[in-house]
Amino acid sequence: MKKFVSNIMILAFCCGMISSAFSAEEVTCFESRKGSSEVTKRDLQPGWPNVKCSPKTGAVLWWGDPFDGTVPLGDMPLLGNIPPGKAVIRPQAERLALLPMCGTACHNGVIPPKLPKDKKPIPIPTMEGMMPDAKNLQHGRGGIWCLDCHHMTQRNKLVDNFGDPVSFDQPQRLCGKCHGDKLRDWRDGIHGKRIGEWASTGKKRWFVCTECHNPHNVQDGVRNRGFIQVEPETPPQLPKGMKNAKHELVHGVH
Amino acid sequence: MQKLMSFAPDYFLYILKGSKKFYAWMGFLAILSAIALYGFYLQNTEGLIVTGLTSQIHDGLYFANLVFLVGVAAGAVTIVFPAYVYHHKAMHEVTVLGEMLAISAVIMVMLFVFAHMGRPDRLWHMIPYIGIYNLPGSMLGWDVLVLNGYLLLNFVCGFYFLYVKYSGGTINKKFFMPLIYVSIVWALSIHTVTAFLISTMPARPMWFHSMMPIRFIMTAFAAGPCLIILAFLTIRKNTKLWIQDEAINLLSTIITWCLGIALFLTLSEVVVELYARTEHANGLYYLMFGLHGLTKLVPWFWGSLIAMIIAFGMFLTPSIRTNYKLLPIACVLGFGGIWVEKGMGLIVPGFIPTPIGEVTEYYPTMIEIMMTIGLWAIGFFILTILLKGAIGILLGEVRYEGAAAKSIDGANSGKSAAYESR
Amino acid sequence: MAPKKIPFADLGKEQPSECLAQAASAEPLEPLVADKKTSRRDFLKAGGMLSLSSLMGAGALMAVSDDAQAAIEWAEHFQGNYRLMTPKEKAEARARLEKRYSSEYGKKVTVDGTEAEPNVLMGYALNVRKCIGCRRCVKACVAENNQSRGSKTGERIEWIQVLKMERGEFSKEKMNQGYPEGLGIQVGGNAYSPAGAVLEGQYFYEPAAVPEKDATYMPIACMQCEKPPCVKVCPVRTTYREPDGVVVIDYNWCIGCRMCMSACPYWARRFNLTNPVLPKEEMNPVTHYLGNRPRMRGVVEKCHWCLQRTRQGRYPACVEVCPVGARKFGNLLDPESEVSLILARKNVFRLKAELNTFPKFFYFYD
Repeated sequence: MKKFVSNIMILAFCCGMISSAFSAEEVTCFESRKGSSEVTKRDLQPGWPNVKCSPKTGAVLWWGDPFDGTVPLGDMPLLGNIPPGKAVIRPQAERLALLPMCGTACHNGVIPPKLPKDKKPIPIPTMEGMMPDAKNLQHGRGGIWCLDCHHMTQRNKLVDNFGDPVSFDQPQRLCGKCHGDKLRDWRDGIHGKRIGEWASTGKKRWFVCTECHNPHNVQDGVRNRGFIQVEPETPPQLPKGMKNAKHELVHGVH
Repeated sequence: MQKLMSFAPDYFLYILKGSKKFYAWMGFLAILSAIALYGFYLQNTEGLIVTGLTSQIHDGLYFANLVFLVGVAAGAVTIVFPAYVYHHKAMHEVTVLGEMLAISAVIMVMLFVFAHMGRPDRLWHMIPYIGIYNLPGSMLGWDVLVLNGYLLLNFVCGFYFLYVKYSGGTINKKFFMPLIYVSIVWALSIHTVTAFLISTMPARPMWFHSMMPIRFIMTAFAAGPCLIILAFLTIRKNTKLWIQDEAINLLSTIITWCLGIALFLTLSEVVVELYARTEHANGLYYLMFGLHGLTKLVPWFWGSLIAMIIAFGMFLTPSIRTNYKLLPIACVLGFGGIWVEKGMGLIVPGFIPTPIGEVTEYYPTMIEIMMTIGLWAIGFFILTILLKGAIGILLGEVRYEGAAAKSIDGANSGKSAAYESR
Repeated sequence: MAPKKIPFADLGKEQPSECLAQAASAEPLEPLVADKKTSRRDFLKAGGMLSLSSLMGAGALMAVSDDAQAAIEWAEHFQGNYRLMTPKEKAEARARLEKRYSSEYGKKVTVDGTEAEPNVLMGYALNVRKCIGCRRCVKACVAENNQSRGSKTGERIEWIQVLKMERGEFSKEKMNQGYPEGLGIQVGGNAYSPAGAVLEGQYFYEPAAVPEKDATYMPIACMQCEKPPCVKVCPVRTTYREPDGVVVIDYNWCIGCRMCMSACPYWARRFNLTNPVLPKEEMNPVTHYLGNRPRMRGVVEKCHWCLQRTRQGRYPACVEVCPVGARKFGNLLDPESEVSLILARKNVFRLKAELNTFPKFFYFYD
């Protein structure tokens, strides 16, 4: 009897080990932009994952539940016709590692010393050290600087046209200041990405500007056009008999 | 009725009697057929993956042979038409042989349909009432309709003639002649519809032109008689049935004209397509010169063109055309040239490039090739049987006991005032 | 997660809209017992000479024996064209499939039969200027729609093809070359490199990163034409257009003649050259009869705008995955839908418009 119990205990222990070993094997994929939209793979229900990922690039290919981990979009000007709860977003704050620190450690509501009050750009070595992007800001090609977008005293906030703070979850209120045409298309679902229900009255998860674009370097990539380059998925299978696809590099029309 | 009851056994017993040469030939064909059956088994367990077909080039050898053999079947009308419309005596004697050829060619077409299909087990879906038959929308539906009709017409005409001949009666012209005239028009229709099958698809610019039906009929009336001449010469050599020179000469004449027109149509197409050289000419360009450095079909095109030109030259020269030693060479060249031109040379480049510009090549597998050969073997097996039986009846070796073998229309008199259409 | 919109719920199974609950159910036995009567009737109807006892004894789905499996396949073989079935026959056909798939893939598979909703005409728009050629749509489509994977040549099927087209260029060096070459007439001013000829590019491109400089990308899949040439040529009417505009295939009725593949000007159709290779763990258990249910050898398949999702209100998989938001989907009859707004506001074109196929797939740019 005692042996039986001990056996059970050993078994239970082993099971625990195995299950912990499995759970330790965590798969992290990215939703739209590598480095800022990571999501951990897990089962929503047995055999039904929250995401399916590309084995080659690690990109999310498929959502088991498009509204997993979302919160309401919040108030947006000119979006009054969308019923409440139909527009949701994935909060950005949790993905920005430094964000909680910014607001508490340094920019806790007071204007830092040495900061000019007139928003004239000056180099800030501390910031440049922490955020290498800031040193050579591509966005605006020298026309703008940090405090055009970031709130002066609440550095875990962005800033709108009136100098009021804007949540990092609602970057569109900031970006739309300059990119009004894009904001309009985004609002109507023409620009940007949504997942969920396709009906115009359906519930959708909206992807906000910074989920897809790197706000500090929107013009990255050799194409110099909005998106950084990404690794492509594998090409189709070559049809029978074809050894390679070199013939595609030959241009046929003469 | 008793006559009918004894027709079948007499017919088959006659076929079973044969020389060693006959049995060797049939045995050889049977072995090839067995290989085809094995290929068919593979295709229906593994799928068409055992062939060289892909989603890019999804019609290949089978479809090419199908199209070609419809032409051969239609080609039988080159015997029936002169015999019954121009009352060509020499042709009249052997009309039934042409019908037998048509029957076996249509059966071969159907075998290739089976080989081509992904799900031959679901063919019943096409049968009206238990399935759905998409008429008038589907060209394939029309094709199946005309092919089955042609098979039936030739079967009825051919075997009615043989039966009457066997039983020593006379032909009921009120019944027979309308069927003959219908079958002549019907022969044109089978190949026209087969041409429509592929030429009604703007997705495939290589095929999408109105010249297709007439070109099909011209090549059919060249390739069909080529095979018929070869069969006639073989029959003359190996059986007691003497097919008259007039019949063979008339067929040569028909081939000459049709082959010439077919070459002319090919030339027209080449000029029209390559002068402007739009993207729609890519298929033809691939066939003639290769595309993007892929040139697998180029030798086939030029080979077939040269074969056809040589054959045309030989048919055009009277001394060669009437020389029955050289005539078979011309026939083989013509038949082979058209087989390539109309089969692989027409079907495959229709898929290269794909409608969205992907260029790939077709690599038929050994299974596919063996199966194609095997299906031809089955066809020749059937043709041999049908011809042997028909010849036996024409010679009077098979006939209803107790009835005098009366000649029909004086067909066996041997003296024919030849209507030559030269 | 998705709305329940199905007008009829008399199919003897749960609402398929609850993909989550349904697909992931850990106990697959219950609905099968309910289905048993149905399949038994079919079995008898099919005049099966096979043993009935094993079917009766098969209490558990996972233990569906070979005989029962054969009986299901037998009944499946003699079923009619889906479009012409009565609602009852349709439900039976789906129940039969659910049973077979569940035992084949070792999980509870649902086969939905939701019909088109009134006043819905599905439409699609793709921003060609945005597409970066990453092929995520291609792979998402495969993950969703149960295409054949496999490693042997001919086993892999993908419904979306992404065409990379090079931008042509005009250059000084080429001023004295070009058309009409070789005829002794050189008029100059022919500096264009015909590299960017329409629909002539690369499908097998594999750079380290996309988008490449001087390249544009054009994904191509089924255009769900208003006047589909494929439907016209089908000899058995196994492919047809649904009332909400999607061209579908009854895979069980397809005879594999491939006429539709020849007729399609967009090369949207693929042929199952062999028994599809679909690993159990990768199989998507939420299926639609006319959509992504597993296919069989020798039949044609193609994009159906993820009917199993869109009929339940959810975006197609390719729309959701597109990292640049180039893909848009919606109801063309709804002026507020994304596609309607695009048609109203942007410059759109249809591929091969000259063929009068009237695709409901629009390309646009901004």
